[in-house]
Amino acid sequence: MTTTLITGIAGGLAQRVAAMLLEDGEGVAGVDYRETTGIDAYPVYRASYDKTAIEDVFRKVSPKRVLHLGRVGNLSEPIEKRFEINVIGSQKLMRLCVQHGVEVLVVLSTFHIYGAHPRNHVPISEDDPLRAGTSFPEIADAIQLDNMASTWIYKHPSVRTVVLRPTNVVGPNITNTMSKVLRRRRIPALAGYNPMTQFVHEDDLARAVIAAVRGKERGVYNIAGPSVLPWRTALEITETQVVPMPSILIERYVRTFSRLPAYLIRFFKYPCVITDAAFRRDFGWESRVDITETLRSAVDRRPPSR
Amino acid sequence: MLRAIDPDVARAIDSLPNKVNELGYDAWGFHKERAKLWYSVGKRLLTPYFRPTVSGLENLPLGRMLIVPNHSGQLPIDGMIIALVALMQAEPPRLVRAMVERWFPRLPFINELFSRSGAVLGDPINCRNLLLDDQVIVVFPEGAKGSGKVWKERYTLKPFGRGFMRLALQTESPIVPCAVIGGEESIISIHNWKSAARLFGMPYVPIPLTPFPLPVQFHVHFGEPMRFSGRFDDEDSVIDEKVKQVSEVVKLLIAKGLAERTSVF
Repeated sequence: MTTTLITGIAGGLAQRVAAMLLEDGEGVAGVDYRETTGIDAYPVYRASYDKTAIEDVFRKVSPKRVLHLGRVGNLSEPIEKRFEINVIGSQKLMRLCVQHGVEVLVVLSTFHIYGAHPRNHVPISEDDPLRAGTSFPEIADAIQLDNMASTWIYKHPSVRTVVLRPTNVVGPNITNTMSKVLRRRRIPALAGYNPMTQFVHEDDLARAVIAAVRGKERGVYNIAGPSVLPWRTALEITETQVVPMPSILIERYVRTFSRLPAYLIRFFKYPCVITDAAFRRDFGWESRVDITETLRSAVDRRPPSR
Repeated sequence: MLRAIDPDVARAIDSLPNKVNELGYDAWGFHKERAKLWYSVGKRLLTPYFRPTVSGLENLPLGRMLIVPNHSGQLPIDGMIIALVALMQAEPPRLVRAMVERWFPRLPFINELFSRSGAVLGDPINCRNLLLDDQVIVVFPEGAKGSGKVWKERYTLKPFGRGFMRLALQTESPIVPCAVIGGEESIISIHNWKSAARLFGMPYVPIPLTPFPLPVQFHVHFGEPMRFSGRFDDEDSVIDEKVKQVSEVVKLLIAKGLAERTSVF
């Protein structure tokens, strides 16, 4: 049986992908640098991707497919840690893929690397420049991971590599920053700004990862989800109360007191609308969960009001 | 008054073929219901004040096109008047996607009002994508230098850029030359305060003769559509020849419009 090794298995998305593969009767193994609990259906290993322990995981599992979904996206983690895991760790994973004859590698990147910028055109395709670093150098690890994986596509043709840059991923099992923001009952909003935004449901993204595994193409692809809508309209759908405040106050507050990455504020100010036409064309994928259901699913786990 | 939607505006916007998603938005942020509100406000403020007249509406082809007018008046009133007459007086009504300056998205509130009404950041890829989607865009090839003209430069043309011609060739779109008469007298700038413009990062800072736009009558003249063929990535000198043909027609339309005008007001 072909075994698929999934990194970031402690996360909600990786577990959804694993469940879908298991349903189709495929072999799955998971690995994470964090502790993972509650999984009995397939073997799970704990190993940091930048340490020698990951080498032993490859020896034990002998995967034919690797889904690298374990990028540290939380920018409140120290840059050194993110660099070790996202850049050094990913480099090691890619090298191990070549050494162990892995046939397919899917790398989960993020649309954040395009950056939200007043000069962004619509829509942004995979060929467009990555502006995020100009206003937020701390995102360098994500940009470097993406660049490294993109170079890998052509440097090592024996491994069919697909890099995915999804928009905001939300869903009942996702605990990223955007989901946490949406789950709040009341949030401050930047008065006078209401940019177009996109969201993709965790199940749609999981299906996209599987489509990438089973398809034939290699390359870098955006995943945009169903419909584009203004940020405030998204908040109306999630029934989140909005408190408009001057943007300068919110920006200062976030930079000084909050753990929310300051660059995320720009995504509530300027648009970063991407197109996934290439992925739909090359892999026959389409989003099945509409935008309303996508957003509502994110707040299913909202804590009850006091 | 601000809440009321003009029934003629509503009818015109409902008849537009623009593709929007199930929530009523396109990717640039245009929204028919919000646009109805802002166009109604625009119509009620601009029409009685500037009393625009229009000629050559029959020259507007169906489908994609670039409207290429002269630029004047310090504020983008000329763009708004073109958008208004193309929506309210053309048959079928056209939604003109105005290309806004790069600092517009930074302006709170204004950025949302403009994008819901159909305006788009003036970026070549935005223009290309809109034209490929069979939409109408208005491009001012004189750029900010055109709208920032001072009184002694009125109704002259600043050099046209080449970008609009390359876009027209790339997307096989017709160019509709256009003249707007009235903008130069609505806000008369006696001086461009360049050092203040540099200080605030603005393209220009006019010293206006009056503290508000004068109630000058606007006249919009659309010329016959011009179709060009050739490589969009041809040498600058080849593109310049084609650009010159357009600017010459715009000059003629301006001269005709000025000759036909009997009174500034």
